[in-house]
Amino acid sequence: MIIAKTIQCPNCKNTLVIKGIPGEKIHVTCPKCGNRGVFVFPDDENDPRIMNDYPIIEVKNLTKRYNGSKAVDNISFKINQGEIFGFLGPNGAGKTTTIKSILGLVNINAGEIKINGFDIKKHAKEAKKFVGYLPEKVAFYNNLTALQNLNFYAEMKNVPRTECKQLIEEFMLSDSLNKKLGKFSKGMTQRLGMARAILGNPSILILDEPSGGLDPRGVVLVRDKIFELKNRGATIFISSHILSEIQAVCDRVGIINKGVLVAEDTVDELSKKLNLKPKITVTLDKISDEIVEAVRKVKGVDKIEIQEKNIEIICDSKTKAKVIVAVATAGGNIINLYTQEPSLEEVFMRYTEA
Amino acid sequence: MMKNVIIFSIAKKEVIDNIRNKWIIIISIIFALLALLASYAGSIYSEGWQDLGTTIAIMLSLVQLLVPIIALMLGYAAVIGETERGSMSSLLSLPTTRLEIILGKFFGLGSIISLTILIGFGIAGIIISMNVSDVNYIDYLIFIGATILIGLAFLTLALFLSCLFKKRSTAMGGAIFSWFLFVVLWGLIMSGLLIASGASIEGLLSGSLPDWYYAIQLFNPISVYSSLVSLNVGPVSATQQGFPISYPSFYSSELMLLILIVWIVLFLFLAFWKFSRSDI
Repeated sequence: MIIAKTIQCPNCKNTLVIKGIPGEKIHVTCPKCGNRGVFVFPDDENDPRIMNDYPIIEVKNLTKRYNGSKAVDNISFKINQGEIFGFLGPNGAGKTTTIKSILGLVNINAGEIKINGFDIKKHAKEAKKFVGYLPEKVAFYNNLTALQNLNFYAEMKNVPRTECKQLIEEFMLSDSLNKKLGKFSKGMTQRLGMARAILGNPSILILDEPSGGLDPRGVVLVRDKIFELKNRGATIFISSHILSEIQAVCDRVGIINKGVLVAEDTVDELSKKLNLKPKITVTLDKISDEIVEAVRKVKGVDKIEIQEKNIEIICDSKTKAKVIVAVATAGGNIINLYTQEPSLEEVFMRYTEA
Repeated sequence: MMKNVIIFSIAKKEVIDNIRNKWIIIISIIFALLALLASYAGSIYSEGWQDLGTTIAIMLSLVQLLVPIIALMLGYAAVIGETERGSMSSLLSLPTTRLEIILGKFFGLGSIISLTILIGFGIAGIIISMNVSDVNYIDYLIFIGATILIGLAFLTLALFLSCLFKKRSTAMGGAIFSWFLFVVLWGLIMSGLLIASGASIEGLLSGSLPDWYYAIQLFNPISVYSSLVSLNVGPVSATQQGFPISYPSFYSSELMLLILIVWIVLFLFLAFWKFSRSDI
């Protein structure tokens, strides 16, 4: 939970927006006259000063070129507090470049990026203060042990060291506490990478391909952690090309293709925009012409296909129940029923075509 | 306050990381053994243990070869190595800045070099002083201090190379070339310039070199270092390479110190400047 507060310098009356977590005490230096003061953020979560509805990550007209060719071309989007935002795109579409731009790892050619309202260029430290990051290529210091590595990051994040051991345990790496990272397997490194990302309970989590190199148990572990952090109010940005993973956890998605943001909305909304409809598969003991005719008469049915004992019906979302009733009224004996909502995969394929 | 904690954390990490490599200990031992060997067996003038001043004179040329290459090897991968391995993106995602990362690495690796030189030559100094009667500690401390400075000078050069090149392998090439340039080629180039300018062999042997020669020498930190030691440690100027040395009037300890410090700060700044413009 981040609080934004406008304060006025008692000396020169200059106003300044400061941000912090509830109960946090910060030292403020007036940028205009250099006057120093201390501000304590209110501890009460219901305090009206706690803003819930402003963008946590704000990307405006971002362009990044590598050797003249545009990796990211004038993209803009916002991620709101408490949201899980899925960032999709084919390989080389510009996902990692966008993430690196957000964190200030690359020098952008144009645009503006704000985390928590802080410009990543001008106020890098404040912007990155509450961020946890899992890079696409997870790497540590190979000469140091797992614990030494996490201790270093804890120190840098000003987080108590006791958290490190606990996280190593949570990610099933207790046996490797004092093992050098050079001897870690890829899956173990990835899990420790996730532990590093969530060290200090960041209110913003940026995950670049979180399931890369993970075994199925690791994937479940990471997914549980993502939900746990979401429940604590964290804002989460996930880049992935595994669509089922995104569909399972994300509130909203952005699709990037060839450096251009081609779509940004909820999966449902995107399906609607593309006119993607659910598919119902009804298995009957016997299919008669009357049944097919009855279904055809239902308003909102787009397409009917018959395969042996199955009728596949593509229709509007609201028509699903009517279709089933029509089948039953026409004397159909339903053995099995299966509906398939439009998948993110279809959405993705349509947006990234050609 | 926060800033200092972050820089200290990065510096500490560099030290732990390199101590794990164990090569610091090996280099300290090499320094100590070299000093002891130089003192006991290195002199052609007399037998047995030599005093510290003479030891320095014998060691100076060895140090000029060794310390730069050690500093270059310690520093050339400090930035590009992390970028190439991938740990730089995590480091930079923390609430820190590129300036703090460069400074942290400089202080960490700088401590390693300084400690290595201090421990290696320190132990040797203690052993030698127990065996000889006439001990000039001040000379020896100046020698150690100057050696630390030349180590730091090559460390910041290495950090700059580490930020300049986009690959670890090319940065290593750059480091080796720098060593070759300042340690090997420099002397050849300077001799070539002297001959081209028509200086006579007699003149060279008598030590009377033109002022421009000494001025150009100021651009090589190794020459500056050796001048700094020669200007302050008696026996060195008397015996160095068998030639008498007569420095021009503008040569002073203060100037040499200033040049080394400017060099260190300049390359540290250049490293930061390059690093802040690079994509991770």
